[in-house]
Amino acid sequence: MKEKMKLGMGFFWVALVLSLVCFPNLSHAGVEPAQTKPEPQVSAGDKHVITLFENRVKNYLKLRNKVKAKLPALSKDSTPEQIESYRKRFEDALRSARAGTQRGDIFSATAADYIRRTLRTEFKGKDRAELREIVFEAETQGVPLRVNYPYPETKELTEMPPTLLLKLPQLPKEVKYRFVGRNMLLVDRDSNLIIDYMTGALP
Amino acid sequence: MRRFLFSFLILALVLGGGLSSVSYGQTASGSKVAARANSSLKLALPLKDNSLRFAVIGDTGSGTDKQQQVADMMVRYRTIFPFEFVLMMGDNLYGAESAIDFEKKFSDVYKTLLDDKVKFYATLGNHDLPIQINYENFNMNGKEYYRVKKGNVAFYSLNSNYMDQKQVKWLEDELAKDTSEWKVCFFHHPPYSSAGKHGSDKQLREVVEPIFLKYGVNVVLTGHDHVYERIKPQKGIYYFVSGAGGKLRSGDIRESSTLTEKSYDRDMHFMLFEVVGDQMYFQAISRTGETVDSGVLVNQRKQK
Repeated sequence: MKEKMKLGMGFFWVALVLSLVCFPNLSHAGVEPAQTKPEPQVSAGDKHVITLFENRVKNYLKLRNKVKAKLPALSKDSTPEQIESYRKRFEDALRSARAGTQRGDIFSATAADYIRRTLRTEFKGKDRAELREIVFEAETQGVPLRVNYPYPETKELTEMPPTLLLKLPQLPKEVKYRFVGRNMLLVDRDSNLIIDYMTGALP
Repeated sequence: MRRFLFSFLILALVLGGGLSSVSYGQTASGSKVAARANSSLKLALPLKDNSLRFAVIGDTGSGTDKQQQVADMMVRYRTIFPFEFVLMMGDNLYGAESAIDFEKKFSDVYKTLLDDKVKFYATLGNHDLPIQINYENFNMNGKEYYRVKKGNVAFYSLNSNYMDQKQVKWLEDELAKDTSEWKVCFFHHPPYSSAGKHGSDKQLREVVEPIFLKYGVNVVLTGHDHVYERIKPQKGIYYFVSGAGGKLRSGDIRESSTLTEKSYDRDMHFMLFEVVGDQMYFQAISRTGETVDSGVLVNQRKQK
């Protein structure tokens, strides 16, 4: 009986040691508090710049939705042919509606300056290195820096680092920030058109 | 103490090669013809009645012969392990995305499964145009991120290309009210990876990991790196990289990595999963049908 108990205890200790060695973190399964960094204070001047930027995006959204409303709707279970046809028609219609749009119509000089400053001040040291790593590993060579041109479908869409998205002015779901090298673009989600761009966004 | 014993159970199964492999001849389902054709297949899953069965593929959309060969192997395994649906880890279509590309890189490749009414649930990768959310066979219902419930498992497809405030809030809100036994998140970029090309996405991890921990996410499935890797549990969460369903980056796993529990980067692969109560069995299978990893995950909440 004693022998059996000894054997049992031996087995337990072996299991315990192996578990601790191989799964050092398993005992932490469950809840850990989310770590949040303190939000930076935004000056009144910058708030105004952000508001104006957001308003220009809203104006774009109104126009694109007006254009979209004239097209036959794309259902949530479309065929590839329907998707291709819709994308082309939306792109063409939107380009016509925005004819004459200039670079900087949405990324105004003050908005671009705010974004550059945000990236410079919020991303330092290791954070900046990681941000640059993500942005520069994307194969985006050949994406035209031209307003109202489609973002080439054969080119990679750079992952936008979430830590950065949490700091930039918020966009509606139909409009996305994208990096091409150090430059930042605004791209329409459904038509794939480059709405605007700014150079030298990334420090 | 129970927690340690559960840990040991996982360890024993992993070190022991997972479940004992059983050939088709020992299982009860399927036709005799299929049995003969697929007698070489080894299933390391229990094939229990009423279990939830699904497959996982990632980085598939190359349209190459090898992608087709992985798909063919999935079809063969389905004769002995009838999985109900497939989760896609993104990069569903590389390069052009015209109508013909949807066929060449997806619907032609998985035709047998689609004809058998196997549902595919996609997520967006960095090579995918967001308009894919409207494609009938990706079942994304026009959403960049969505939740789908199957049995006792809630699956969350996230758009890791663009994890903005809206998505973070949606994820927190959904997870907070989710009482499912298992919570599985799948998306493209891996928070943990030992691959040399991309590796761990630390910026993404900084934002999503605290949420996963807070709301008890059990398993995270990803792609992006064109390899297979099962990560050692991180803060109790099980992470997989399954990004070689249509592309391979041979020899890309950094052998010095301390994250790896098991990896495979010599050929393409797909995965099978079976959920039985508080146990989730998995098997990673190469393009040629070799089992490269298998085992069982125990629901972390049951370990307390």
